[in-house]
Amino acid sequence: MTALSFRLELRRSRILAVGLAVVVLVYGGLIAALYPILLANTAQIEDYMKLFPKGFMAAFGMTGSLADPGIFFTTYIGSFLWPIVAAIGAIVLATRPTAADAERGWADLPLATPLTRSRYLGAAILGQVVVLAALALATVGAVLAVGTLVGAGFDVTRFLAAGVVLWLFACAIAGMTSLLAVITLSRGVAAAAAGGVLIAMYLFNIVAQVQPDFAWLGDLSAFRYAGVGALIDGGTADWVGIGVLAIVAVAGWTASLVLFRRRDLLP
Amino acid sequence: MPEAIELRSLTRWYGKRRGVIDLEADVHQGEVFGFLGPNGAGKTTTIRVLLGLIRPSGGSARILGLDPWTQAPAVHRRLAHLGSDPGYLGDLDSASLLDHLGALRGLQKGAWRSLAERLDLDPRVPVKKLSRGNRQKVGVVSVFMGSEPLLVMDEPSTGLDPLMQREFLALVAEAGAEGRTVFLSSHNLPEVERACDRVAIIREGRLVKIATVAALVGDHTRSVNLVLGRPAAEGAFALSGVTVLSSTGQDVHLMVRGDVNPLLRRLGDLDVRDIAISTPDVEDLFFRYYEGTVAGSEGRVVATGGTGIHGEAAP
Repeated sequence: MTALSFRLELRRSRILAVGLAVVVLVYGGLIAALYPILLANTAQIEDYMKLFPKGFMAAFGMTGSLADPGIFFTTYIGSFLWPIVAAIGAIVLATRPTAADAERGWADLPLATPLTRSRYLGAAILGQVVVLAALALATVGAVLAVGTLVGAGFDVTRFLAAGVVLWLFACAIAGMTSLLAVITLSRGVAAAAAGGVLIAMYLFNIVAQVQPDFAWLGDLSAFRYAGVGALIDGGTADWVGIGVLAIVAVAGWTASLVLFRRRDLLP
Repeated sequence: MPEAIELRSLTRWYGKRRGVIDLEADVHQGEVFGFLGPNGAGKTTTIRVLLGLIRPSGGSARILGLDPWTQAPAVHRRLAHLGSDPGYLGDLDSASLLDHLGALRGLQKGAWRSLAERLDLDPRVPVKKLSRGNRQKVGVVSVFMGSEPLLVMDEPSTGLDPLMQREFLALVAEAGAEGRTVFLSSHNLPEVERACDRVAIIREGRLVKIATVAALVGDHTRSVNLVLGRPAAEGAFALSGVTVLSSTGQDVHLMVRGDVNPLLRRLGDLDVRDIAISTPDVEDLFFRYYEGTVAGSEGRVVATGGTGIHGEAAP
């Protein structure tokens, strides 16, 4: 029964997954195609960048030369495109099985069969894991594929490892949103709360970079733990960051599973 | 043998808002049981407790001896459910939806086919593109396609055209003949009258009447419509068991419980131009219970028919 629900979850995710995949494939491919041009004009671009405060640039992932693949990827994708795609995908997927489907009554149908609540939500969570992994893979895959075509010389292993971090970041959003959805059983409220938390964390990360006195705010931000620049450029994984993202994801999903078993599904 | 459904002081509050209060009822195995009440009376709340989707605030509900909250999977192996709003059926086509729900209930793929043909349902059309009536057909097919011993339905025939309503009632009758229990929540009173063995009437969260349909309709209650040549004197119908439902002077509508002879004798003294005496249908009785005009129906259960009822008997 879990497999049945999992297959249905994937089927219901098709349109969202394909839509977001097209965005990351087109944008990722386009950005990768521009990399050689950027390399050829590094000096001019860096002169221009010097016009902006260092902390401000760091807040957007530009902590070094844009000629470095890791900084390049973080600036255009890791700190920009991926948070948007991950937030949309994770919030839509994580609010659907509980809040959205309870609101429109769909959840009543499978939950009035021998399928347990744990299996129902567990299958949906598994679906989120797979869809978000596919999107992360599509993102780094587009950059790698086009990068190879234009001779960018990207390191495949490091980019794939960066893809894992991107995936964990999306899973952390999904875990948190899943819990909010079970608590509120309202898609709108849960999505707004999750979006609000993400925006707050994004701002925390910027403030932490710009104002050294508030550097501690960065520790409260998922964006601080989702950086992949050092991983791509230096091959150094931020294991603490990876651990934090994984813990948030697993804790959020586990708590939502436990709470959903005890939650009244109001009409 | 446990009752199909047992409600014992079942109470559910939504904060300060009333859901249901102190419901007491037994639904016997193999009977078709109607649950009547308008929107907001507590029908859906009761069904959600029976399905294990919400917990009672007080009292208990049991399905075939099992607790629907703590033993939900076991309960769900024994029941099929149809909700009140077909809008929830989603964006799959009917065939995929029915196959999915069937598989979750352990049914073979395509178990819905003969029923879909019988109800003239095109299974290839996405459910969201179906009309309300056709979406309801999907729900009806879904609930009847298995062999669970208990069918719980909330406003099942809403949106069905008269032909399909007849087919639906035939399906209910067949389920009853197979010994399956049907719990049918509805405000379609003629449907309940035709389909059900017993009926419960719920009013503002409380049960006000449980009776067999035959007892409900025929519990010595008669509807009497009179046309008089001249208005009757005040108090002319102040007789035991007689209630004046409406009077416009010469047109008088009475309800008579019990012996009709005192009324007939009184009519002999009046200038009666026309008289019509009929047995009230469930609809009449339902509205009278809602208007509180039936003696003993105010805020307490009235037992008629003598089965499966815990409550205060009517005088």
